[in-house]
This record gives sequence, C-alpha cells and structure tokens, in this order.
Amino acid sequence: MARVTLTVNDRQVTLDVHPGERLVDTLRDRLGLTGTKEGCGVGECGACTVVVDGDAVNSCLVLTVQCDGAAILTVEGLAPAGQLSRLQRAFLEHGAVQCGFCTPGMLMSATALLARNPRPTREEIRAALAGNLCRCTGYEQIVQAVEAVANEAE
Amino acid sequence: MSTTSAPDKLRWVGKPVPRVDAVGKVTGATKYMGDLTFPGMLWGRVLRAAHPHALIKSIDTSKAEKVPGVVRVLTHKDVKGLNGYGIAVPDQPVLCHDKVRYMGDAVALVIAETREEAAAALDKIEVVYEPLPVVDDPERAMLPDSPLVHEGGNIHLHTHIERGDVEAGFAASAVIVENTYRLPRQMHAFLEPEQGVGVSDGNGGVTVYCGAQHPYRDQMQISRALGIKPSRIRVVASPVGGAFGGKDEITLQILLAMGALATGRPVKIVLSREESVVAGWKRHPMVIHMRTGAAADGRILAHQVRLVSDTGAYASLGGPVTNLALEGCTGVYRMENILMDGYCVYTNNGVAGAFRGFGQLQANYAMEHQMDLLAEALGMDPVAIRRVNALRGGDVNPLGHTMVENVGALSVLDAAERCDLWARRHELEAEPPSEPWKRRAVGLAVEMQGTGLGVGLPDYGAAKIDLVRGPDGRPRWRVGLSCPEIGQGNSTTYAQMAAEGLECDVGDVEVYVGDTSAGPDSGSCTASRSVYTGGNAIFHAATAMRELLRKKAPAVLGCTEEEAAQAELSEIARAAVAKGITLSADGAFIWPESKYKLQGVFGLPHIINTYIAHVALVEVDVLTGQVEVLRSFAAIDCGKVVNPQGVQGQSEGGMVMGMGYALMEDTLIQGGHTLTKNFSTYIIPTSLDAPLMETVTCESFEPTGPWGAKGVGEAVMVPIAPAIALAIRRATGALMDHAPSTSERVFTKGGVRLGG
Repeated sequence: MARVTLTVNDRQVTLDVHPGERLVDTLRDRLGLTGTKEGCGVGECGACTVVVDGDAVNSCLVLTVQCDGAAILTVEGLAPAGQLSRLQRAFLEHGAVQCGFCTPGMLMSATALLARNPRPTREEIRAALAGNLCRCTGYEQIVQAVEAVANEAE
Repeated sequence: MSTTSAPDKLRWVGKPVPRVDAVGKVTGATKYMGDLTFPGMLWGRVLRAAHPHALIKSIDTSKAEKVPGVVRVLTHKDVKGLNGYGIAVPDQPVLCHDKVRYMGDAVALVIAETREEAAAALDKIEVVYEPLPVVDDPERAMLPDSPLVHEGGNIHLHTHIERGDVEAGFAASAVIVENTYRLPRQMHAFLEPEQGVGVSDGNGGVTVYCGAQHPYRDQMQISRALGIKPSRIRVVASPVGGAFGGKDEITLQILLAMGALATGRPVKIVLSREESVVAGWKRHPMVIHMRTGAAADGRILAHQVRLVSDTGAYASLGGPVTNLALEGCTGVYRMENILMDGYCVYTNNGVAGAFRGFGQLQANYAMEHQMDLLAEALGMDPVAIRRVNALRGGDVNPLGHTMVENVGALSVLDAAERCDLWARRHELEAEPPSEPWKRRAVGLAVEMQGTGLGVGLPDYGAAKIDLVRGPDGRPRWRVGLSCPEIGQGNSTTYAQMAAEGLECDVGDVEVYVGDTSAGPDSGSCTASRSVYTGGNAIFHAATAMRELLRKKAPAVLGCTEEEAAQAELSEIARAAVAKGITLSADGAFIWPESKYKLQGVFGLPHIINTYIAHVALVEVDVLTGQVEVLRSFAAIDCGKVVNPQGVQGQSEGGMVMGMGYALMEDTLIQGGHTLTKNFSTYIIPTSLDAPLMETVTCESFEPTGPWGAKGVGEAVMVPIAPAIALAIRRATGALMDHAPSTSERVFTKGGVRLGG
C-alpha cells in the first residue's frame, strides 16, 4: 500500500492505495464520486476525463499514486455549492445532454480548454473534444454549448 | 433547425422545453445503475465460452470455489426455471449446459467479495470442451451439409413475399439494374457498458437495477428463468447510458437476480468494454441481392430481392429484423410486382439483434443505390425518379396495405430538393476542393421507417397519473410509465404532453420512467414507439384525470355545477390537494394495425411511418480513398414535433451514427473471434468527423398520434448512409456496394485512376 494525498474538488484527502489502483477507481469506489464514468478502460472514449493540475486526463490511464500531491477536479466540483457553472448551464441551454454518460468527461475536457484558452475557436473546441466520444448527440450541440461560453469571455 | 408548421394553441407540446433530466447529468448527481452501491455488496464476473462452437463435456467449479473471497460459483444447475431467454425465441441459455455457440456465451457466474477475487476465480473454473467446426459464413450455413448451430437447422426464418408478376414486369422494363450489396456488423457503441446490481429482499424477492429498454419484459424473462412470480421481481431500468437497441434483449438481469438470490447479498456486475463487445448484440450483417426494372419514365415495374441476414448464435430479434428489412427493401415507392425472399441464418459470429433502424438501414442502403442506378441508366434526375415512384396517401403499398395514414414521402423529398446542398449541388461540386487531389460531390436518399412492432405483435402502452400535494402545498402531478429514459429525452416529452393534457405547468409534473414499481407497462423503448405509445397513454390518462376532477369540482370547490364548469382545472386541483384529496387516473392505448395481413409473415406491414430525406456533401481524397463528409441535411416528417431541440439532437446524433455506418464501422469477426474489441480498433466518429448539419422538420399531423406526433428515433440515421455512398459514387464513379466505404475500399474502387 502507498499513502497518497490528493486535493479533490478543493478537499484534501489522504488514502492508502494499492500501487496498481487507477485514479478512476479511487474516485468512484473510495470517494463515491460516481459522476466520473468508465466507458472503455483504455483511454479511447474519454468518459472518465478529469482535470489533474489543469490538464484533462483519462483517469482510467492514471494510477492514483501518480497523483500524489495533485489537485483533481471532477464533475462534482463544477457546482460545489449547487450553483451551476456557466459551462454546465450552456450544456442545458443547447441540448448538449442526451444519455449523459459522456457528459461529465465532455465538461471536464471543455473546462480544461476554457481555463487554458478562454476564447477558443470552433476548430479548437472540436479538437479539444476529439478524445471524448459521444454516441447520442452528433457533437454539434456540445460544440455549440462550449462556443457560447467562449463567445462571452472577455 | 427550422420547422414548417401551422400556428397552434399548444402551450407545451412543440416548445423547446429544457430536458427534465439534464441538471443531474451535468452535475454528476444522476446515478446510472452501475453507480449504485449497497452495504455488503459482492462482485460478479461471468465466465464466457473458450471456443466459438463447442460441446461442453464437463464443468468443474471446485477449485474456483476455494479461491479466497469467493462466495458462490453458479452454473446451469442453478437455473431453476427455463434456462433460456430471447425476446422472440428464448433459445439463448442463461448459463450454458451442453454447448456453446459463440465466444460471448455465459458458462458460469463467480460471485466474490471483490472484483479482483472474482476475476482470479474465473481462471480456476475447469471446463472441458469438444470443439466443433465453426460456422462463420451464412451462405454456407444454409447448405444442407453445414454443421448445425442449432439442431433445428441453421435457417432460423425464411420469409417469402410475392405480389403481382415480376417476370412480366421485367419483360416490360426499359432498364434493369442488378447488384449485390454487403452491409456491415455495426456496433451500438453506447458509452455505458452493461452493468447493474441485483438486490435480494431477504424473502425470496429481488430487485434488479440494470439499464435496459423494456423493464416489464425483463421482469417476465427473469421470472421465467428463475421460476419465481413476476410480482416478486422489481426491475429498475432507467436511466440508461445509451442503448440504441443493444440493451433491448436481456443483458445481465437474470444473472444479477440469480446472484442476489443465491447469496442473499447485493451483487454487482460491470462488463468491461471488451466483454461487452464480445457478448453483446450487433446490427445484422446482410447480403442483399436486388434486381429492379423500370419503364422509360422511371416507374418501377419489377423488384426482386434475396436477402441473407447473419443473426449469429441466437435468434433474439433476428426474425423481425429480417422481415422489417424486407419491408425496407421496397423503399418509399409504389411497386406492383415484387418477389422477395429473406433468410435469417444462425452462425457462430457473435449475436445480432435490435439496432436503431432495425433492418431498414441495410435495406435502404441497397434500395437507394438501385434508385440512383436506375436514374443513371435512364438519364433521369435522382429526385425526379424518386418523385415518380413515391407513395402517396391512398396508395396500395408494395406489401398490399392501403396507406390511409399520414404519408410524407413527397414532402421530405421536396424539402431535400429545395435545400441549399441539393439546389446548389453543381456549384458546390465545382468549388475548388481543399486539395487539388480531392473531389466533391452531393448525394441524396430517402426513407420511410415503419414504427411500432407491427401486425400480429401485441403493441400497447399504459400510463398512470397521480395528483398529490407537493411540499409547498401546491398540486404535483406524478406521471408513471415504464418506457425508460435511454437518453433520447422521452421523460421530457412525457412531461410536456402531461402538462398539455393536465393544463398545468411543466414544472409541476414529475415523470417516473423505467421502473416496474413506479408505473404500468408502456412497452419497450424501441421501434420509434415510446413518444407515440407513451404519449397516447398519457393523453388518455390526462383525459381521465380531467374528467375525474371536473366531476369532483362542485364538491371540492363548494359551488354549483354551473360555477364549477367555469373553473380552471388548476384551480380545482389546488382546492383538491388543499383538502387532502389525492386522485389517480390510468390511461391505456393499443396500436392501430393494418387490416391487411400477409400470410405467414409476422410483423408486416407497419402502418405508422416516419419519413426522412438526407443530403450529404462529401470530399473524397482520390489518392488515399479517404472520405470526409463536409455538410449534411435532413428533412424529417415525424408528425407533430413535441420538442424541437430534442428532434434536432436525435437528427444530428443519427446523422453522425449513420455516417459511421457508411464510412468506418464494422465489427470484424474471424473464425468466430472478434477482432475489434474496443474503441482503439472499432472506430466511431469523433467531434472532428462530424459534418456541418442542418435539420428541417416537415411537420404533419398523425391523426392516431398524441397531439399528432409520430416517432423519430430510428429514421434519423438511415438514408444518410446511402446518401454519403451515392455522393462518393458521384465523386469517383465507384459503386460502393460493400459498406463501410473505408479508405481502402474507396481507393480500390475509385481512387488513383481518377487522380492519375
């Protein structure tokens, strides 16, 4: 077992984990943060995307021990006090949610993009979401939701 | 999205009401069935077959049972009822006894304290097999000397449909086109792999939490396999992280129930993507041979079809899919002389079952190619030849049904002809491509999608409405029905229709779906039927509730009947809940059927159809064969649009899924072994592949529909595939008779010759 300290959604947690434990399992099984989904287990679908120290990463490909000391943001951290973020509201307004299984990953990829680049172009948005598969929407309403937030940025 | 419709007085139906389930989905609060945990929960793992086709000589679980943490290992001996399931024919074992027929067959279920312990025990189960020859070619499987997948023979179903005189029709034809089309094994690729939890009530009953498409049928199938009464089984099937037909059949429900009852503890099973791909259903690969004759003016005079569908190891819905494919082989067209034979064949190539489009996608790909080829042969415009043949209201369709319902073939065709992509296609094709070695072209195709289950199959829905007092003292309307929320947004359209029928705010409606304890049976979320069926049930329940409230109004309001008649429904409801009165009303709906029955053909004809035309602009790299879809257009007649944003989402999602079918998707199985087990090898479209999309709805009013609505979920992915393939043909001259149009196929058929 290895002791790790993570800051998850602004809350510090210290855990003893198996060196082989994946971040997605730590989040879902130990911390009960089931908003993060697992769709493929090999880093192809993006459903498990979380933000680690500012970068969107597939939490199925990251070991928890690698995240010792890191700040992790999951979908549950986007509206900590129940107040939806601008991006979450844009997803509602633009019909960007259908089955919702890809939605947390999409939101986290887009959150990382907007933090790094508040006014991305449509092409930059499409590229940033290319690692997040969605089988329901055809992507357009998701891209439009992110564009709407980008267009409001200073 | 734009809509052509007459103004109406509707307050909620037709409005872009935000989805009622979206807040939970953007915050991560929504619990899918695999997100649930219970105290004392165990983990289950399924042992799958080691060979695609083999006899089981023995199964020894003794070593596995000794693995630390293992609680139980279940085999066929533990299946107390019928060891079989299947929507149409229950020929698939819950746990195999004497034979395995594909690599996904379940042989044993290990239940352990942790996932890791369950996995470790899988390797310790000793199964002795006697391998059998693998049946992997449906054409060969039909031959008399083929090894048998099932003892009754490899041809699960042969459907023969004949009307008129095709030989006379061919003799009178000015042109005849004849081709064989090969269609791929598409994967649903829902983002949520099959997963769920079974929870015993400690008293012989069980609750099964597992995302699915028809909870009451799941309940029946669990009951049949376990030998316990349906009333002891609760099924919670909603929400679902995508299904598209792939969760219509039993996935894990019976195993979850067995595990929970055998251990007395909650049991969770989560399939990996690889296990989901190997075990789960796919779209039927088909080989469709078509011979079509037309007069000089374009009228189809004869149409002959031979269709072979590979249903894999078990029947599931292979029979109905074959029949609907045959119906789809007649397109949206008038035909007096048809001769069609469809064969649904068992092999060891995985399993195939329901998938959005349900056979019509394969059929439409072939039929729409035939139409363009006839047009080419006759020197006609592709729209003109479709218009000459398109079915009108009052026509007798090729299967013999008189079209008395709303018929929208011409309205969607007209809209497609007027759209920018088609109207300016010559200009767009002449525009300089992004690179000199690329070619641009536009293709068009049209479809009608039969909705509902069809003639001879019980098709009905029920809904319940309760008026209760909300926490704020105001009336709340609880609407319960069983069609699950699989992502398509039916819970929102149900809320809209309930609010319309109950003359209340949509915010005062609470919709409960996909739970056998929360609402009556409204059937499956398949066949584009949930809005039409559930909506009709809600319409009748709301009507009954209005009548009930009106009847009680004088007593509730303490006034005369005349005064009560003037009161608004909301006022009566408010007064009722203030007095502590709660009320319930039910509504039920049975689908209309065609009076015309085809002898020996179940499920046909369908009479309520969604009509759709797609147009696609593609750019083909003639040096590599790579195809990009730049723009696409959809014209949809789905009756009255209940939620425009919802229809747009269906349309765009459908176009991209259909594009995947046209260009990239095929689950490769070789010798019974799946080669494409995850998204690293089974490629689906990403945000970078999606074209610029436009959707127009050609609104109509379906008299039998709730507020005039029909269904939309399936048609949206169908004609886009032939539209793309026909655009490739226009760009390169290649006939893309083998889908998907991968770079290799496009290059081989129409590549460098043009560049050179």
